[in-house]
Amino acid sequence: MNWNEFQRIFNDCELDGNKIIIKSNLRGVIGFVTANYTYNMLKEIIANDKGEGRTELIYHMYSTDDEEDLFISITVDGEVESIADIFESAKADENEIYDLFGVKFTGNENLKRLYMPEDWKGFPLRKDYVQDDTRLVWNDGNNEA
Amino acid sequence: MTATMKLKLNLGPQHPSTHGVLRLILELEGEKILSCEPDIGYLHRGMEKMAEKMSYIQYLPTVDRIDYLAGCFYSELLCRIVEQAFEVELPDKVRAIRVMLLELNRISSHLLWVGAFLMDLGAISPYFYAFREREMILRYFEKLTGQRMMYNYFVFGGVRKDIAYLEDVEEIISVLPDKINDYEKIITENPIFLKRTSGKGVLELDTAVNHAITGVNLRASGLNYDLRNIDYLYKGFDFGAVVLDGKDCWARYKARIMEMRESVNIIHQALEYLKSAPALEQKLINPLNLKLPEGDYYAEIEAPRGLASCFVRSLGDDRPYRLKWRTGSYYSVNLLRKLLVGEYLNDAIAIAGSLDIILPEVDK
Amino acid sequence: MNYLYFLYIEFLLRHNIPKLFGDITFYIIPFCVIAAALIVVVLVLVLAERKLLGFFTQRKGPNRVGFWGVLQTLADAFKLLCKENITPKSVDRFLFNLAPIIIFIPVMTALGIIPYSAEFTFVNTQTNVILYLILAAFPVISIFLAGWASNNKYSLLGAMRSISQVLSYELPITFVVLSIAVLSSSMNLTGITMAQFSKWGFFGWFMFPCVLGFIIMFISILAELNRCPFDLPEAESELVCGYNTEYSGMRFALFYLGEYAMMFANSMFIAVLFLGGYLSPFGKYLFNSSFLIYFEQAFWLFLKAGIILFVMIWIRATLPRLAAFDLLKFSWVYLLPLSIINLFIAVLIKMGELA
Repeated sequence: MNWNEFQRIFNDCELDGNKIIIKSNLRGVIGFVTANYTYNMLKEIIANDKGEGRTELIYHMYSTDDEEDLFISITVDGEVESIADIFESAKADENEIYDLFGVKFTGNENLKRLYMPEDWKGFPLRKDYVQDDTRLVWNDGNNEA
Repeated sequence: MTATMKLKLNLGPQHPSTHGVLRLILELEGEKILSCEPDIGYLHRGMEKMAEKMSYIQYLPTVDRIDYLAGCFYSELLCRIVEQAFEVELPDKVRAIRVMLLELNRISSHLLWVGAFLMDLGAISPYFYAFREREMILRYFEKLTGQRMMYNYFVFGGVRKDIAYLEDVEEIISVLPDKINDYEKIITENPIFLKRTSGKGVLELDTAVNHAITGVNLRASGLNYDLRNIDYLYKGFDFGAVVLDGKDCWARYKARIMEMRESVNIIHQALEYLKSAPALEQKLINPLNLKLPEGDYYAEIEAPRGLASCFVRSLGDDRPYRLKWRTGSYYSVNLLRKLLVGEYLNDAIAIAGSLDIILPEVDK
Repeated sequence: MNYLYFLYIEFLLRHNIPKLFGDITFYIIPFCVIAAALIVVVLVLVLAERKLLGFFTQRKGPNRVGFWGVLQTLADAFKLLCKENITPKSVDRFLFNLAPIIIFIPVMTALGIIPYSAEFTFVNTQTNVILYLILAAFPVISIFLAGWASNNKYSLLGAMRSISQVLSYELPITFVVLSIAVLSSSMNLTGITMAQFSKWGFFGWFMFPCVLGFIIMFISILAELNRCPFDLPEAESELVCGYNTEYSGMRFALFYLGEYAMMFANSMFIAVLFLGGYLSPFGKYLFNSSFLIYFEQAFWLFLKAGIILFVMIWIRATLPRLAAFDLLKFSWVYLLPLSIINLFIAVLIKMGELA
């Protein structure tokens, strides 16, 4: 991974260890590293809550040819472009992040509640999530038996 | 006449061959699958949320439960994170103990898979044969750690106590190769088994990579990607990664059988070392009031069901700010969407079985 | 049968009971005997299967209820009797209740056709081989009804598989039976048995001239019984329990009972066609008394059937299940042509004998 070349094309970015921090244009960056370098596997997407509705997404890329890892970090305001059409595995990751953090991925139609029940309110891994025990009552009392 | 009707079939969550509580929503035409939509989350325990409320030593016993068939791997990951933070160098003996237990755990996991896979295909005997050998390994774990599945044996900086009962391990690895030969005799060349598995569920390499499939499933598609080769824990051990080019269910089966032999080989080396090793000397990290320095930590390991990794972000507290697990099965479930389409129902069971999906690992 | 019939009528006449009464009851009594014997046979068979499967898979099998677990199946049957008969809401009630009943009728009748010994065949018509073939294929109707009426997708798939399976395996069976009919010049099971008699004991059995047919017949019977490796209609790992998924309690027990009774009947059918039926393998009987000889003949038949059952259980312990598509292909592409070849061989042998 040639950092200088990368910085020349995407000037709005910085390097932190083995992590590239970008501000925008996620699809462009991912498309660039898959096309120009050999990063062909998206191992996982890690999401971190940054507070105030902002979420940091770390895309963990891997090159099976060069056996190299690459972390691309982007902080988003609850909405970001989906890369599920580039990496099939992102479909699963994005769905999980939507379920636990409430980040919307535009372009991914498969988003649905995954671990949580479909009528669950709130996104549990956010720091502003209040654990409210009444939500654990599944039966609202109207159902028989 | 009306057009042919599609049959919508709910495979699971309570179904004998979903290995837990996986739900597959299938659209069938006759017995041919038109589309498959996996629905997971029936076993969600909020492992990641739990971590944010617990100190590291409180959390350590629970991580075994992420994959109840290979708990050692996840304890190892968490321990590795903490050791990374405090830059602890593990003594050789601790490394040998860990490698031995990890490989024993891997064998027991693969053994269960062999049994369950054959059960999916309708053969009952191999299930019991595999359990007989697995029982020997579990007995040993019980003797050593007091538990048959959730070992909680690795601690930050070492292991809970010195290794013992090495003669049991010796017996296991002396018996196991013969037993694996027996499985091969009854299963591998069986014409019905070959018919059910070879050429079924072909997973092309680029599809596998694009779906982030790792572990045995990837190696059976022809890519040599085994984290053990670069793992510092396995430094000094002599072994080769099992790489097959079959891409189908049969190759995945064969790769697991071969991997068991390879694991026996690794255990043999670890055992030889441990037999003559000095008494255990380790520098444990005091788990009480353990605070990880601020920063991001990342560790990965070759688990039986693919690459497992752990990401921890610490703000210097006694508990992580964020902890994320990556498990291999989660991506295998996602792969079913693609792999099952166009197959017949009974092949679909074989294909889903061959990917070795364990639901607690998927749901976390 | 005539011998027993005269004994019976004579016994009635001695007590001043009209002959008409005897004519009627003579055909009813045996079926009561069969019904009672059938329960015992099935209980023993289920226990034997579980014990043998345990033995093949390094377990003990049932070993708690009664000495050596002998009462286990009895206890299970009792449990099934006591269980609630659940009828799901959306089933077709009439057909749902009818299906387990009609699985039993063909089995009972089929058992009446088998010649247990020289004089002991309840229904001895001239062409009872054909009657048997019809009855043996009959349970599929019950399976279809069960699968359809259950209003369950798994049941429907199971029934679907079962029908296609029986349809494709019925033809090889018919051709093999035809070749036996050619060899023995008879369509009657007693006649077929007698045609296998020879001075040198088992060398006269049709198993030898018709070895191809024997193998085809065995495979096809396995398929028709939905036994492993052809147990697709009730494949546990795919269809949960197949056509009887929705059944519980006694209705389920009837299916279970019918299945095992059919297994027993079919293995006796193979024994009659290929293994000389009630004939002794040594060419002459061990007992000389004319009365005990009947029991000895029945013993030989049961022994032969038992060996076939053992092999069936052994196969179940060993083989994985075939795929649905391969199963049909196997029948149409391999078994059917081979069974026709077998018929030609039988005809050639017969012509050689006659010439």
